[in-house]
Amino acid sequence: MADHLFRHEAAKLVSVLTGIFGIDRLQFAEDVVQESLVRALRTWPYMGIPKNPAAWLTQTAKNLALDLIRREKLFRDKEPEIVAFLDQWPSDAAADESPMFENEIRDGRLRLMFTCCHPLIPQEAQTALALKTLCGFGVAEIAKAFLTSEAAIAKRLTRARQKIRDLQIPFKIPAGKELSSRLEGVLQTLYLLFNEGYKASSGDHLIKEELCQEAIRLGALLAEHPSGNQPRTHALVALMLLNAARLPARTDSEGNILRLKEQDRSTWNQAMIARGMLHLGESAAGEGLTPYHLQAGIAACHCAASDYESTDWSQILLLYDRLMELDDSPVVALNRAVAVANVHGPKAGIEAVEAIQNGSQLNSYYLLYAVLGEFEKQLNHFQAAIDNFRKALELTELTSEQLFLSKRLQDSEERNLRSVA
Amino acid sequence: MESNPLKCQSVEALTEKKIIIMNTSTTKSDYLLLFRGNMWDRGLSPEQLQKVVSDWFAWFERLKEEGKCAGGHPLEKEGKIVSGKQGRTVADGPFAESKEAVGGYFYLQVGDIDEAIEIARQCPGLEYGAVVEVRPVAEICAVKQRAEELSAGRVAEATA
Repeated sequence: MADHLFRHEAAKLVSVLTGIFGIDRLQFAEDVVQESLVRALRTWPYMGIPKNPAAWLTQTAKNLALDLIRREKLFRDKEPEIVAFLDQWPSDAAADESPMFENEIRDGRLRLMFTCCHPLIPQEAQTALALKTLCGFGVAEIAKAFLTSEAAIAKRLTRARQKIRDLQIPFKIPAGKELSSRLEGVLQTLYLLFNEGYKASSGDHLIKEELCQEAIRLGALLAEHPSGNQPRTHALVALMLLNAARLPARTDSEGNILRLKEQDRSTWNQAMIARGMLHLGESAAGEGLTPYHLQAGIAACHCAASDYESTDWSQILLLYDRLMELDDSPVVALNRAVAVANVHGPKAGIEAVEAIQNGSQLNSYYLLYAVLGEFEKQLNHFQAAIDNFRKALELTELTSEQLFLSKRLQDSEERNLRSVA
Repeated sequence: MESNPLKCQSVEALTEKKIIIMNTSTTKSDYLLLFRGNMWDRGLSPEQLQKVVSDWFAWFERLKEEGKCAGGHPLEKEGKIVSGKQGRTVADGPFAESKEAVGGYFYLQVGDIDEAIEIARQCPGLEYGAVVEVRPVAEICAVKQRAEELSAGRVAEATA
């Protein structure tokens, strides 16, 4: 069986069934799909795994839905229409090639994407709902990814479904003027999903990696669809691919964090980089420049460098300067300071940090002190480096980060002793 | 006593049979693994379900290949319950979700109960709350059966 087949089939079936039942029956669609998967568990171990598992699951979901609809009279006057639709739904191998159904599935997914990412649903509920319905994750898995309890996630999901019902959020792909702003919302949620997986914070490692993969998969689906096929969608997909491609190099075999300088670039995923570059090319089609474009461009600079020394830091700094024009958040400014230091030296880096607008927002951000410590160290200001690394250590609770910072601290202390002696 | 040809013969026959019985019983006994509980799999995520399906299938195939499992089947959730004298009552059931409901079984042919338990321990559903019951299949004891036949024969002789 293909990896994640159940998860992906579940997501696909939920979106198709929701299209048939109506968005107010989202939960019903989810239950039918879950029951089909449970039935597979109860029979496949004995009868063997079907040649076409997806078709088996589709057929089972269809039969279950028909049974329930007829027995429980769930849809009143809509029933004949729904039954007719289910009846003509092909579930054999030909289904995947049937053009009508291919469109149905593709549209269903996009509709569900736009519904889950509706601006009236709170952001954290949007991401939870997207993970549940669009990616087929379970409540426990989502809880792990967000470092929260299963109960909290279950509550978010219930609220999101309730909001969809109460506000009668339509199950459709927006058109015209509305499309642009709604697409922004979808991209924003995918970006958050990706970041949740990408950031080197704690949480289940495997699930985090899958979050990145899922955000990319959904982004690619969006980019393929006429309604989502826009430069900024490509920019987002490019940014995700070009960053995710370098994930394997970020830690060594023991899970220790490696600096960009120390990373083994041969472990970068070249196929993903190639795909990312293609999307980056597509993203240049229009006039609009979004933060996604610039971040993708920065990632592309790193990907293009065969070693650390050949990194085009001037280009990266240029991109950061333009990014600051669109997003002058302190975190972006801190990242820019690293580029400044690489181009103009550590002293300029420190000045760039000191010049950060609203820099006080970073006061409890460990990375601020880690970056400063690094700059001071390069200037042979070992005592200042030690102070900064100590401060950074106090502010992170993650073992991997603590370990990394301890090493930087120890190194500075040794050099300090030597310089004093 | 020795003059009783029947007795001599029977002792020989018994011993012979006994060896055969010993042989079969030391090599193979039959056990049922009953998979209980019809709720544990409800809350699993698609990813977990896929993993359990694959593992369970591989487990079953391996046991069959190793000659340790003669077969197995899943059971439908719903059936009929027949009770009362002459089966007067026929009801639908059992419907209830319960920890006791049997969802399927394996028929094992292994050395002893420890081996059967060891196999039960490998059930991929255990991690999620499935329960496996190991039940030895009762053997019809050949020695006892033969003895009963003989004594029946003697009774028949005496009464002749």
